[in-house]
Order: sequence, then C-alpha cells, then structure tokens
Amino acid sequence: MNLEINNLNKQYKNFSLNNININVPKGKIVGFIGENGSGKTTTIKAILNLIKIDNGNIKIFNKNINKLTKKDKELIGVVLDDSFFSNILKVDDINNLMKHFYSNWDESLYYEYINEFKLPKNLSFKEYSSGMKMKLKVICAISHKPKLLILDEPTNGLDPIFRYEILNIFEKFVSNKENSIFMSSHITSDLDYVADNIVLINNGNILLDMKKDELFNKYGIVECNIEDFKNIDTYTYNLKYKDIYLLLIEDKNTFKKKYPKLIINKPTIERLLLLFIKGEK
Amino acid sequence: MNIIKGLMLKDMLIFKFYKKNYIFSFITFIILIFITSFYRNMIITGTVLLLLMFGMNSISTFSFDENSDSNKYLLSLPINRKEMVISKYLFAFLTSFITLIIGLFTTTLLTILATKELPIIDNFNYIYIIFTAVTLLICSDIPCIYKWGVEKGRMQSIIVPIFVIIILGSIVLFLMLIFPNLYTFITSNLFYKYIPLIAIILNIIFYYISYLISCKIFNNTDL
Repeated sequence: MNLEINNLNKQYKNFSLNNININVPKGKIVGFIGENGSGKTTTIKAILNLIKIDNGNIKIFNKNINKLTKKDKELIGVVLDDSFFSNILKVDDINNLMKHFYSNWDESLYYEYINEFKLPKNLSFKEYSSGMKMKLKVICAISHKPKLLILDEPTNGLDPIFRYEILNIFEKFVSNKENSIFMSSHITSDLDYVADNIVLINNGNILLDMKKDELFNKYGIVECNIEDFKNIDTYTYNLKYKDIYLLLIEDKNTFKKKYPKLIINKPTIERLLLLFIKGEK
Repeated sequence: MNIIKGLMLKDMLIFKFYKKNYIFSFITFIILIFITSFYRNMIITGTVLLLLMFGMNSISTFSFDENSDSNKYLLSLPINRKEMVISKYLFAFLTSFITLIIGLFTTTLLTILATKELPIIDNFNYIYIIFTAVTLLICSDIPCIYKWGVEKGRMQSIIVPIFVIIILGSIVLFLMLIFPNLYTFITSNLFYKYIPLIAIILNIIFYYISYLISCKIFNNTDL
C-alpha cells in the first residue's frame, strides 16, 4: 500500500470524521467523492499532517506520517484546491523555489509541461485563469517524479480538453504499477474515466469503498415514471429527479424477473453519489 | 539549509514585487539623511525611519502567505514547521540588519560629506537603540501572527508590543528600586559605551524567546 488510513477520527465543534478507513494500493487511482463539507478536505489535511488527529493511524509508504523523512516526502506530490505559493510569483520563480525544496526536482520536465500546456511565463499566478492555475499546480505536483499523488479537486476549473490530457497523465503515472493517486473530485465523470476504486464520504463517515468495476457490476440504475415507481418495492434507494424517479438496484436478477419491462442501466458515479446521499430508502 | 534558503528566497521574491516603491522610498530616505546631516543632532532621523520601514517589512510577507494560504501547501512539500519558523526569523533579522548597516554607512558617509567630520558617537547609539526597539516590535508581532493570523491579529499586533514594553519598563524600574546605583549607571557615560553590547544581548534574547513561542504556537496549529 502507498497510503493506508486506519480508524481516523477527528472531532470539531460542528463536524467530525468518524472511523475513516481508506487504502490506496500501488498502481491504483482511488477517487474520493462526497458533497461539500462531507470531510474530503479534512481527510486530505489529516493525510498531509496539517491537522492533529484525535485517533487512528495514517501510513504512507508503510511509515506513520509523523515519521516520514524528507526523502519520503519528496516522493509525494500534492495539489490543494485552495492553497499554493504567493500569487505574485511567476513560472520561473516557482521553478527556482522548487529546486531548493526538492533534491529530485526535474527542471527540464517542469518546462516541458509548461510549454506543452502553453502556460505564459511572463504572467504572475494571479493573472492566470483558474484553469491555468490548476495546470501549474498539477505540473508542480508531478515534476519531481513522485510515487504518490494526493490531489484535492485537481480537475476543478479545467476545460474538457485539458481534463482529458491531465487524466491521461494520471493514467500513465500509475501504469508502472508502483505509483498511485488519491484524488478527491466533484467532477465525477473524471472518476468514471480513471478511478480504480471509489470511496464515498458523507457527514464524516465512509458510505462506500469499492473497486469501480465491482461497483458498476453490483449496482444498476432504473429510470421510471411515477406510475411504475408506485408498483416497485425492490430497490435500495430512490430519488425524484425532474419528472422521473431514479432507483438504485442492488439485486439486479430479482428485479429483472419482477419487472421485465424496466431497463436496468449501468450506473455512473454521479448518479450513485446522488442516490447514496440524497436518495430515500 | 537549502530548504531555509528556499523559504527566504520565497519571501525575497515578494520584495521584488514592490521594487519600485522600495527604490522610491530609499531615495527619499537618502535625501532626508543628507539634509539632516547638516544638523548633527538630527542626522539619525532618516536612518530611524529607514529602520522602521524596511526593518518591519518582513512582517508583510506573512500577509502574502495568508492571502494564498501558502502554509498548507508549503507543509505538504518536504518542509517542516520548524524550518518555516526559522526562515521567517532569519529573514526578519537579515532585513533589519541590512537596513541597519545601510543606515550606519549612509549616516557616516553623508555626515562626512556634509560636515567634513565624523558623526558623533551618540548618533550611533541612538540607532542601536532604535534597531533593538524594531527587533522588539518584530519579536512581539511574529508570535501574534502565528497565533491569530495577520488579519485577525491586527489589534493584538499593536497591543502585545505595548504590553511587552510596559512589562520590560516595569522590570527596569523595579530593578532601579532594588539597585539605586542602576539609575546612576544608566545615565553615566560608562553605560553609553556598553550600548552596542547591550543591544546585541537584547536582540539575541528577544529573537530567541520569540522564536520559541512561535514554534510552540505553530506546532500546535491546525491548518
């Protein structure tokens, strides 16, 4: 495992993380989803040792996070949604700083990405568009050849073209079966595309932690009108969505036999998220 | 050490942003020092202003960090909290020390140019005292910023230095009551000879105590 979280607990006045258990195996991308305020960023802060946890144990590369050496930390790349260097710095300034912070900083790789993603060198970070800002953050996270990427909303603000490019970079990153990625995202279609495992958090509790393929095999989604809905009793969750009802079906075979006219669709992560969090039993 | 150099470079790059303002202010101070150099008792005015403005400027780097929420990101890199605190103190010290050297150099040079004489020793002593006062302000402000942040701690950054000055003043007055000869010593010529040494000792004490307090606060802060 590149990252292991065991029984993580953190109590705030109005919010708590409760017994969080997450594993990020080597060679895998783990998508971390949940609505705003569900505990995604707090969990990431705990992993990065930015907050003191009340209970539990977090290990990176099989070492407790409190015992990570500088060499260990050099193998981690991080993108934080709301935090970066001072926004008056430019691409060259950031390169000069990173050279001091990482012994394995790859300047040529950094500029290769800067040129590939067409980031202007004469503008400061604050003059960048939100997409450009995120591109630079991602470039900084991968230009020292890390083994583990911890990404908080890395595709936030990116246009579809760049999201496609960056997701391909992530896929390539884990293709050596040694590297792994733990990424939170609101853009669940990205996770449909790249994630191997999905972890769903709600109100500080893990609701679901499953391989994506298993998740898609296990669950199905049925769309039906109100008349059909009134006659159905075999579903896990239901949600009224515009003029239709969405139903989360767990036992697909029984459902097919009972309601042969209704079609069970392959789920998307967005619809699973909606049904698990907003759905009614 | 490379990390601390990098962190100080980060703060120095912020100074680059204000390059034009600093050059303009510096020229103004040089002119002020030159004008006052004709009046031997006023010569220190420019240097004192220079020290207050540039010496205290390291504090402004905290607001840049706060605006970008940089601390979180920096701690996710191979940087620890202690290195971040050390770099802030080293940067504050170097900024004020370089300003002191520039102030002493320009005061001497311009006094010689204006009056063809060396500046009187008292002027230097006043500059050392002001330098120590600036250190005291810096060393009171930094722990306040670590505790409350730049924005929230604005009021505390004013109150705490006043509080520290009152306490230190009370200690000196108390010592004077216990040791009546202390007052005579402070007002004697002998004391003036020791001002540079006393300034160095006080600077070391202020920085050390303030650094320990900041480390303790920052180590226990959730970001």
